[in-house]
Formats: sequence, C-alpha cells, structure tokens
Amino acid sequence: MLRPHLWPRIHRGFSSPHTSYAPSTSLLSRRSFTKSPILLSKPLPARLKLNDADLTISYLKGTGPGGQKIVRSQRNLIYALQNTPKVTPLTNFQNKTNSAVQIIHGPSGIVVKCQATRSRSQNEKIARSLLADKVEAQEKGDQSRVALKAEAARKKKASKVKKARRKYRDLEKGAEEGEVVDGDGDGDFDANANVDARTTETGTSEKSPST
Amino acid sequence: MPRIPTSLLLKAYRENSLLPILLKECRSLDSARNELRWLRERAVRDVQEHSRQATRTRQGWRTRLRAMCHKRSRGVPLQYILGDQPFGDLEILCRRGVLIPRSDTESYTYEAARLVRQMAVETCKDSPSPSGSKRPLRILDLCTGTGCIALLLHALLAPQFERIQIMGVDLSPIALNLAQRNLEHNIGLDVLDRRAREEIQFHRGDVLRRNGIANPSTGTSAGGDAIPTVEELLSQHTTQSERDSKSSDGSPLPKIDLLISNPPYISHSDFHNGTTSRSVRLFEPRLALVPRTDTNIDSNAISQEGDKPEDIFYRRILELSQDVQASLTILECGDKMQAERVVEMFRGNSPALGDGGETDGVFTAEVWPATEEDCLANGFHVRDGSRCVIIRKGGC
Repeated sequence: MLRPHLWPRIHRGFSSPHTSYAPSTSLLSRRSFTKSPILLSKPLPARLKLNDADLTISYLKGTGPGGQKIVRSQRNLIYALQNTPKVTPLTNFQNKTNSAVQIIHGPSGIVVKCQATRSRSQNEKIARSLLADKVEAQEKGDQSRVALKAEAARKKKASKVKKARRKYRDLEKGAEEGEVVDGDGDGDFDANANVDARTTETGTSEKSPST
Repeated sequence: MPRIPTSLLLKAYRENSLLPILLKECRSLDSARNELRWLRERAVRDVQEHSRQATRTRQGWRTRLRAMCHKRSRGVPLQYILGDQPFGDLEILCRRGVLIPRSDTESYTYEAARLVRQMAVETCKDSPSPSGSKRPLRILDLCTGTGCIALLLHALLAPQFERIQIMGVDLSPIALNLAQRNLEHNIGLDVLDRRAREEIQFHRGDVLRRNGIANPSTGTSAGGDAIPTVEELLSQHTTQSERDSKSSDGSPLPKIDLLISNPPYISHSDFHNGTTSRSVRLFEPRLALVPRTDTNIDSNAISQEGDKPEDIFYRRILELSQDVQASLTILECGDKMQAERVVEMFRGNSPALGDGGETDGVFTAEVWPATEEDCLANGFHVRDGSRCVIIRKGGC
C-alpha cells in the first residue's frame, strides 16, 4: 500500500514526457530519501604509517619464560644465574599457548602490547594499528584520527540524548496540555541540554589525549 | 610444581568461577584469563554452529565451556581442545597423536624463508641465466608432523617463486593424514595458494633408516612392504619431472635447496625426570618427542662414538643434507648445548664434504638466535628454550 504523499512523485515520474531517463531510474533517483548513504561530514585522515626502522617488535610468551624448554621456577633461575658455568638449569619442555606481541616505537618511546588472539601475526597487526593510533594522537593531539572519532561519537551521543529529552518533554506536555507555555519550556530545556553537552565534552577531551 | 596460593585462587574465583579450574594447568592468572577467553569464544561459536545445523546436541555454551575447562585442567593441551593452532597466517589443525606446532618453530620458519629469498637474490646476481629460474625451488621437510613448516614456507615463498616443490616426510600415518587435511583446510581458508595442492607432497618415510647404497633400483627392490627411506622417496618422486637436472649433477639424488627439520630431540631421561611438562608428556606423542633408540637396530650404525642418544636424528639428517647437497639446512634443537653439539657434529663431518662434494663454497654452521636481542625479537628465551642450527654455503 502506498502512502498518499508518495503518489504525486510517482505519478510525475511516469507521466513526464520531458524526461529522457527510463521511468524506473527516475523513480529511483527521486526516491533517494529512502536510501541516502550515510556519509561522514569530513572523511577521517588516513591512518599513520609507521616506519619499520623505528619499531622494535618482540614476541613475548605472556608471563614467564616460554618455548618448548623453559626454566622451571624462579628459584632455579636465580640458582642457575649464580652458577652459570657449572650448573645447567632444570629446563622444561612445554607448550605455551600465549603469544603476546610487544612493539616499542623508538622516537616517542610508546610501548604497546597485544595478546588478544592466539596468533602471533594477528596480535602483531593489532598492536601495530594501536601503536599507530597512539603515536598519531601524541603528534597531532585534537586533530588525530582517534580524537576526531571520539569527537564524532560524542556529538552523536549528545544529539541522541537531546532528542530523547525532547521526546519525553513533548510526551509530558501532551499529558498536561495547555499548562506549560511553549517558549518557556523550550528555552529551559535547551539550556539544560547545552550544559550537559559541555560537561561531556570536557570529560572526553580530558580523556582523549591519555588514550 | 609450586603450590598455587589460596589468595590467588580466591581472587580468580571472584573474577570467574571457571578460572581456578584453569589455573591448575595455566599456573598464572594472566594466562588462565586468556585461555578462558579463547575457550569461551570457541564454545559460543560451536553452539551457534550446532544450532544452525540443528544437530541433536543441544547443550548451551556454558555447559560446553565448563566441560572444556575441566578437560584443560586435566592437562589436555589447549590446541587439542580447540582443534587448531595459528601458525603464521595459517590455521593448523591439531589432534591427538600429532605434535602441536610451537611458536619457536614459527620463528625459525620465517627466518628460513628470509634466508631462502636472500639466497635466491645472491644466486641471481652471480649467474643471471634463466636456468636458475627454470628449476623449481626444492624443499625437504623431515619429520613434518602437522605439516606446519611445509605449509607456512609455501605460503611465504609462493609470491616470489614461480615453482616450488616441497616434500614433507613423516613416519606417523596419523600425522600424514592430518598434514594432508591441513593442506586442504588452509587452501579452503584462502591463506594458501591453490597451486600448493600440486607443489606440496606428504610421504610416509623413515628418516632414520637408510639403504646402504643410495641407488633407486636396489632401494625399491629391497623396500618391499617396509617404510621407504628418504633417499628412496626422493628418487621416486622427483625423477619423473626433474631427470634432466639430476643427470647433469651426476649424483643419484636431486639437489635440495632447503632441508628443514624439527626432529624428536628430547632425551629419555629428560622425558621422565620432570623436565618435560606433564601436559606434553601425557598428551603429545612420544614418537615426536623422544628419538626411538632402543628398538631401532640401525641406530648403532648411524650414531658415532660420543654421540648422545637424543642427537641421533641430527647425525642422520646431516648425512642426508650432504647427500642432497642442500644449500641451506635448518635444524631445530632443544637447547643451546644441543645446538652446539650439532654444530660440532657438522664440523666433524665437513672435511669429507669438502673432498667428496663438488660444492664450490664452504659451508658454515651457526646457532640461531645467537645474540640476546635476536632471542627477544624472535620470542626465544634468552638463556634456555630451543635454538636452531643453520648450515649454509658461504655464511655471513
């Protein structure tokens, strides 16, 4: 069933003798309001490419020594270190499941560690992108990718909150009709919303450089 | 094994009631947390798949996760519970009876691929004739197990080399079966090139057994129903396509570019005296861990005086590496001492190589990783843990 306000558009699309387009395409183009692509107002800057020479990548085995052969306990290790030439330490053939990756960025001294997955190469990829974000955040501050993303998220949330408040205010107004004067309530609410937005803004801006 | 303090158990319990169970095997909260996360992810995924297929087992993921955790606390390796292990970009399937790929092995497989590429560049510089590119890159992986090394090498080298021939040899039929499954599995995941199906072959062979004369005709006749030796496998499977290069070399075996192996290397005493962890000892195949010296009659013929029984595979593989004129040989060893023993073993052999072989360069053997930074960068423990021996022409 078509809603009545759609009728004139479709009718025009089919009947117009001047259009050179096929009727179906013209219909689609006119119906763009239903499928408008969601675009960011400004595209995010490209992710920072880190120079491989600046990175020190090391593979850790989570906690403690790892590999197939490891030192059995801290005490043994100390003992072994004290008597290195004479004593061979008790070693252990093991099956470590952890494969954490740590990357140090030389110029900035930022260290990132990742042990999200069991795969070392996957962990490295994740750690690299995390490190790139951190380095960028340190270099560019508010203009960095992370900060811009956080800003966009904050704005979205603020507008959502605002809309929700407006909705409930309207509902309330509907319930006790005529009691509240329109202009008065509106101004009051907007002031409230603005204060709210400002507090969230300070909250995130305090957070964003640290993350 | 040190007792887990009650405070730690309580702390773990407060976080998640399943963590204390996992602590029994993991020993540290950090790794228990990680393992719980991975197990949960798998349990949820499995249950979702089950419900989609509407199979009879309609248990919730919580029940499943609890069962998995109890299994883990008994010492069953995580990889056997989950059924796979990431290895580079590949996903290697694991099952009882086949050794689980270790991250150390992953490290030196990457190193091997790097050295092969470097070697190819050098030979191109020396002789820019097209004959070098016509011959496929030949790799022999002894004691292949899950086939992880062979598959990862193919994944790493396929973009650079047009033709690769990889042969994986193992004694265990279960391992060979799994290796073949891994090949298909990784092609299915699209992390391995489709041509790997033709270029990687897994064969059953006995690395330790040798036929006195490396002659294909006598080898096959003597074989009968016995497990073939590596020499027999090589002459059987490379003659059809590569007869021309074989005859030009004048030796009965084809030339191998890279010989790589992670043989069993744990000594009998190390296996039993608590050095090998419970989980490994109880659940991973002994065949892949301890060289079988007691039952094998040939072992006396292979090992020389002063050889330790756990080093028997190295003696045999070094011999093979000479026979196939491997330009690069990479062997994983249990620790630094063993690696140094293998280097010594190689040096003891090398004069014979210089006289007999028509190799132009001198081979050098080194332990890798040698420096502390190398160890840290590649995930090896600084003082202990496995090492590998790299034998190559020229050296650095």
